[in-house]
Amino acid sequence: MPTTPHGLFRRQLLQASLAAGAGTAIARPARAQGKPEKLVYVGDNGPWHTCLVNEVAPAFEKSTGIKIDFTLLPIDALGARLKAELSAGEGGIDIVQWDASMAGWVSRHMQDHAKLLGDAASKHPDFEWADFLPAVQGMATYDGKLSGIPYRVTTGILFYQKQLLEQAGVKPPTNFAELLAAAQATTKQGAPGRYGMGFMARQGPAMLGSFTPFLRSAGGHYYDPKSGEIFINQPAAVGALEFYGDLMTKYHVTNPASLTWEFDGIIAGGQADQFAMSVTLAPYGEAMNDPKVSKTGGAWAWSKMPGRDNISQSGTYLAGWMLGVPEKTKNTEWAFEFVQMATSKQWMRRSIDLGNAPPRVSVLQDPSVLTKHPWAPVAGEALKTATLDHRDPLWAAAQLPPRVAISQVLLGQKTAQQALDEVANQWHRSFKLAGLKG
Amino acid sequence: MIRRAPAWRIGRRRGKLIFNTFAYAALIALLVLFLFPLLWIVGLSFKTRMQVFASPPLFIWMPTLHNYAAVLGTGAFQHAFVNSLVISAEAVLLSICVGVPAAYAFARFRFAARGPLFMSLLVMRMLPPIAVLVPMYVLFSKLGLTETRISVVLAYTTFSLPLVVWIMRGFFEELPRELEESAWVDGASRFAAFRYVVLPLVRPGLVAATILCLLLAWNDFIFAAVLTNDATRTLPVLMASYSGDVGVDWGAMTASCVLVVLPVILFSFAAQRHLVAGLSSGAVKG
Amino acid sequence: MQRDLGAAVRYLPVTSPAAGTTPPVAGPFARWLDRAFVWLAVSPTALTMLLVFGLPLGFSLYLSTEGWSPDETLFGGQFAGLANYAALLTDPNFIDSLTLTLGYTAITVAAELLLGLAVALLLNLNLKLIGFFRTALIVPMMMTPIVAALCWKLLLDPDHGIVDYLIGQPIIWLGQPWTALISVGFASVWQNAPFVCILALAGLRSLPHEPLEAAAIDGANALQRFWHVTLPLLRPYLLVALLLRAIFEFRAFDNVYVMTGGGPANATLLLSVYTYQASFIQFDLSLGSAASWVMLLIALVACLGFVALIGQRETRS
Repeated sequence: MPTTPHGLFRRQLLQASLAAGAGTAIARPARAQGKPEKLVYVGDNGPWHTCLVNEVAPAFEKSTGIKIDFTLLPIDALGARLKAELSAGEGGIDIVQWDASMAGWVSRHMQDHAKLLGDAASKHPDFEWADFLPAVQGMATYDGKLSGIPYRVTTGILFYQKQLLEQAGVKPPTNFAELLAAAQATTKQGAPGRYGMGFMARQGPAMLGSFTPFLRSAGGHYYDPKSGEIFINQPAAVGALEFYGDLMTKYHVTNPASLTWEFDGIIAGGQADQFAMSVTLAPYGEAMNDPKVSKTGGAWAWSKMPGRDNISQSGTYLAGWMLGVPEKTKNTEWAFEFVQMATSKQWMRRSIDLGNAPPRVSVLQDPSVLTKHPWAPVAGEALKTATLDHRDPLWAAAQLPPRVAISQVLLGQKTAQQALDEVANQWHRSFKLAGLKG
Repeated sequence: MIRRAPAWRIGRRRGKLIFNTFAYAALIALLVLFLFPLLWIVGLSFKTRMQVFASPPLFIWMPTLHNYAAVLGTGAFQHAFVNSLVISAEAVLLSICVGVPAAYAFARFRFAARGPLFMSLLVMRMLPPIAVLVPMYVLFSKLGLTETRISVVLAYTTFSLPLVVWIMRGFFEELPRELEESAWVDGASRFAAFRYVVLPLVRPGLVAATILCLLLAWNDFIFAAVLTNDATRTLPVLMASYSGDVGVDWGAMTASCVLVVLPVILFSFAAQRHLVAGLSSGAVKG
Repeated sequence: MQRDLGAAVRYLPVTSPAAGTTPPVAGPFARWLDRAFVWLAVSPTALTMLLVFGLPLGFSLYLSTEGWSPDETLFGGQFAGLANYAALLTDPNFIDSLTLTLGYTAITVAAELLLGLAVALLLNLNLKLIGFFRTALIVPMMMTPIVAALCWKLLLDPDHGIVDYLIGQPIIWLGQPWTALISVGFASVWQNAPFVCILALAGLRSLPHEPLEAAAIDGANALQRFWHVTLPLLRPYLLVALLLRAIFEFRAFDNVYVMTGGGPANATLLLSVYTYQASFIQFDLSLGSAASWVMLLIALVACLGFVALIGQRETRS
């Protein structure tokens, strides 16, 4: 497609804002739709919804009289629910909360949000779509269609306990060799309870989030969804997994309890001072660094993921949640009104204090945020070089084999090459099957 | 009922003493194995965050009710509790109403579809829930039931209905056929004989079936995980969603574990006595 | 207390065919009423079964023969015949999972039977306080499985769990393949041995005294009496326990889902978890449906074989 999605809606936005600028006196467009009693919101049950549920929704109800009916589900159930409702249902959902990795199948059921933004521009002249990080704008766009407004963005950054590194006489690492040295020094110093590194390595959705920054920073990739070409068993990726595995099995600088840690485990491990460094989701800085719940509260500092040879190679992933209005809803205008309210500057600023990681530049660079949430600017910086996670329809099945491979390497059952060759084999097989089926 | 010691155990006293000592030792060891984990969890639920993570672990501490206050403070727990209660009760009621007459028919009459129907009930009983989960969801969403508790209630009948039929068939078969036959001779209709002669006699069976189905429904996770939403969420689903982006809150988690399990255990003990009463009523032939 | 546990046996599947003689009332109208009564009694069950069991299962069978891929609408697949089954049976992960599940089922069920029987023998003794022990030892069975699994996860935690503290070794139970499998299985045995115990105890309490007394008079020692008299008499109870526990362990899900998620390195990827992943993570409902049908068929064949085998033995003896 010659026109990039961004170009497309920037133009529309431009027209819209011109229209708005031309006449701020323009009356609110008459509601084409009747006012519903409630809007049905379907999302996951992550604990970062506090702001949305406890503050935005009541405020929305107060100003419009419309109740927001939240259905918050465990993530697997959410996928099944959306899948069934969006493709076979009768428009029972007004606001869909979807994850970047779902874009491949969710997008086709969503409205064109560039158009919605354009239509509503006169109502919300200060919404400022350009305030969203460009990478995050891309995250909400699939096949040229803006399918939602980003609400939460997560990315992997390096967490380290500043004082421990200083005591060990090492600087915050900028490349793999320094990372290893720092991990060795802090492991030695913290033995037996505290290790240099902590991973999320329980076999499950978290473990790829833990490994991917290493893969990206080593210049590795999973596969190309268009051509079906597989990169995961090529030298860059193999090197990344080898290094990752060696931290556990060869140098013994990673806390072996990592093998049972998922999202909550890495936070608990950090809070209990089980490791000096970790590469994990930026917003976890909040819970780990809070002295009220964490033994290590106040001890943490953040920087970008080290590159293989130098910091310029630093890479990480980009993931997050969008709020979107599906095609089938009967309450488009009101649903989008809520989405815009939730993602407005003011509410996004508020949400970061309640555990969210909002993707607006103005929030991430707000001076009060800098002091209260020091991980946020590092996350903003990391997002500039972050690569979007896979979200093609193949990924749903493709994500399983690498989980097993990482597990095998961390247990020392297989070398990185053997394990990733096996992943490549399975992908060949499943890509072929997908091709046959489609 | 008099307990008779078998003849082979009446014998040397000292041997018996040693034997009993070993028996008690084994029983106490088993008690520790089966109950200590549970007691430890109960203990954790009365600890503050710092006490939970103390090392070495505290065996004596000043108990706190903070965790219970936190769990009950949001209202989410109570809401899920009511959901669990209502859904379990409705599922059991439905299964009993639907299943008991069928069980009676299976026990007493021979009819065309008897074999296949009973066979399908057996298959239903051994069915892995995962096999029907997705199709069931799609079906219920077509019928517009996904926003209601009805969908979960219906889903629970997949295991409670076969159980009711199984249990009740056994109870009906144990009743002497002469009971109904004499009622029929006296001119009672099939329904009247069933309702007024047979049913009162199988009350112990009804109690047993109810208790077992309640347990299963209360304890189910997988159906509820997929079929419920915030409004209809049951306790096990709430439990599974406790961990998340803020680290594991052991105190709150153990407190809610206790709150989920306690009613079931108390109920079972109470029901155990009820079962005894039902059985000693003499309606069931020995 | 004496007879309460006897209730447990009442809900066992009755293997003997139900008596089905024609009712004694004669006359065409009465016979019609008979049939109507049976029809009225059975049809609600039949209808419910069709709705919650037949239709979903039929739809699942349909899905399992469809080439349904994640970017299609739910009914938009195209007929693929047995391709999904072929894909399944050529997937090494599925085969591994199947083998693992069979092994897991065999070992956990065996452990549950042995432990349950041992506990039942102890609880059958004529001791003081035995009523207390009988009540206390069945508590784990009442627990919500997902809660029991959560509890074990906390108990086995490498940093703050009590188990590692008590044995004085920092073992990462859920992080190593064998220990993870053992932990998951142990949690299940812990929870379900009491069920076997209840059945076995019910059996023990209903045993006739005469054969034991006769054996004692013949000079058989305790072990011989147990092996040659008690055990054969308990057989029907144990077989039922075996059948029910095997069905449930074969489809074990909650404990694995909570404790290990199928890892590490697929060491605890039981069939139900494989199926769950196929349906809800890969979103390949066709593959998931095919997997659940394979599971269902295995369970069915095993059960029928088992029941037939018992029937055969029973008629022979």
